[in-house]
Amino acid sequence: MNPSSLKSRFTTRFLRALTKINAHKPISSSSPGPGEIFQRYRRIKVAADKSMAYSVRSRRTWSRATLWRLRTRSPRSRLATHARRSWVKTRSTRAASHGKEKKEDGGTVEAEELRELVPGGEAMDLCNLLDETAHYIKCLTTQLDILDRQECTSREL
Amino acid sequence: MQPCSREMQAMNPLLNPAQQIPLQDLQSTAHQQIQNPHFDPTSSHDDFLEQMLSPLSSCSWSDLKSPWDPPKSDDTGPSNVGFHYDEILASKLRQHQINGGGVSSPATAAIKMMTQQQMLLPGRGVAAMPLSLGTSGGAAGSHHQNDIVDGSSFKSPNQQGGEGSMQSLYNGFSDGSLPGTNQTQHFHHPQAPNFGATAGTVMKQSQASGSTTPAQPKQRVRARRGQATDPHSIAERLRRERIAERMKALQELVPNANKTDKASMLDEIIDYVKFLQLQVKVLSMSRLGGAAAVAPLVADMPSEGGGDCANGGGSIQRNSNGNQTSADNDSVTVTEHQVAKLMEEDMGSAMQYLQGKGLCLMPISLATAISTATCHSRMNPNKGGPLLQSNGEGQGPSSPSMSVLSVQSATRANGGLDGSASVSKP
Repeated sequence: MNPSSLKSRFTTRFLRALTKINAHKPISSSSPGPGEIFQRYRRIKVAADKSMAYSVRSRRTWSRATLWRLRTRSPRSRLATHARRSWVKTRSTRAASHGKEKKEDGGTVEAEELRELVPGGEAMDLCNLLDETAHYIKCLTTQLDILDRQECTSREL
Repeated sequence: MQPCSREMQAMNPLLNPAQQIPLQDLQSTAHQQIQNPHFDPTSSHDDFLEQMLSPLSSCSWSDLKSPWDPPKSDDTGPSNVGFHYDEILASKLRQHQINGGGVSSPATAAIKMMTQQQMLLPGRGVAAMPLSLGTSGGAAGSHHQNDIVDGSSFKSPNQQGGEGSMQSLYNGFSDGSLPGTNQTQHFHHPQAPNFGATAGTVMKQSQASGSTTPAQPKQRVRARRGQATDPHSIAERLRRERIAERMKALQELVPNANKTDKASMLDEIIDYVKFLQLQVKVLSMSRLGGAAAVAPLVADMPSEGGGDCANGGGSIQRNSNGNQTSADNDSVTVTEHQVAKLMEEDMGSAMQYLQGKGLCLMPISLATAISTATCHSRMNPNKGGPLLQSNGEGQGPSSPSMSVLSVQSATRANGGLDGSASVSKP
């Protein structure tokens, strides 16, 4: 495996984060309450997203958006979300003015949906959006691959 | 179009084919005209273009070219004229070829002619310049420079050339220093038989020297024959091409990429991204251990599964270890009751109902076999993971006793391992 590939970078970070979480809260055999489970799930999910986004640094728009979202979660939520919303609005209006000229491209409905799916995709024109989507899909598959392998190996133990 | 018309009218006397103006006179008049930025707006824009369009007399073009020489080229004037003659004939031929495809408008035809001329005279930076000036948008000399440097698609002389750049070009000409020494060097280069090659190299040289030679590669104009050369449409075309190649790249990433329609391809992509996100969620949930953990998560997604296999992975892992709190598993129990009811009436309808939800029925033994088998296989997003609801074989039409997951978790628990995410994997 390429030592500096996306996969290896993500794996190292993710494993590190997981061990930290596990150390913090050991796995309980009995099924804990749904709230606790959900919290733990969130932590793991956050760890996965964060490690993935960090592996990509800020080279991609979606990673920047994800990092932003992680950093400005609940504590400073109101101020941060307001700032982010205004930023997104300015960029989306600019993109929309671009898009209005070239509206005949078609597929804007799906493009809207794609924008919602891909983090940080609200303020991008179709061309870059497709690029971001491709990279995002690649990263998601990497994530899944790692999670998958972890599951398998842990189960076989 | 005011600035364009102004300088076009300046060219009018030069381009009048009927006149056989002696070379020197033309030179002087041209110089005067050029140095005098004030032109009289008598004739109109269209007249000029039509004049240009009228059969290019060799005299007019040669007259056009030579005036722009720096003054010292007086002695070389006649030789240049004779030299150009052949080129001009060739250019006329080519232009007829091009125009055979149909000319949309006088403007585009004029532009085509211009570019033909420019291509024919690669080294003639000086000659090319009046052509660009002649076309209303030729002032975008820098614009053309960028085109050449990019190597990008053909951009016709911009019709909306900025006035400022026009003025700067004029000033350059008035100084006489702009075309200057560089152009004369190119001017005297022996004409290579292969215009295209020299065009490329000399273009680059002139580029490097910083002149404003707008020359276009020959084949680009050929390709664009009959199409609009409007910069807007060109930009559109570029954009569409970029989007097309991105879509192609995405097609390779996403499975089921046999759709040719862009809209359906986008739909596929959207579904796939949703599916991937969901799988990440599910997998990360399963790490917590206990299938019950997944229930609240999945209960939020009502009809995620359609008939689509990929989406079927969404409605995975319904429930539990047999102790289901109704609060958590309302939707699941409702589904189960519904299925049970349907099964009492007719098996087919029950199956259809399940299929509509992306589920299927299978005996428990088979389900366990599958789940243990999938543990060793990789996740294949293609197949997703249709939810397996089991119905005990010997049991009557009573409500389904156990879900497959419960079986799995039982076996898992024996193994003392966490989680039962394997249902998601085919």
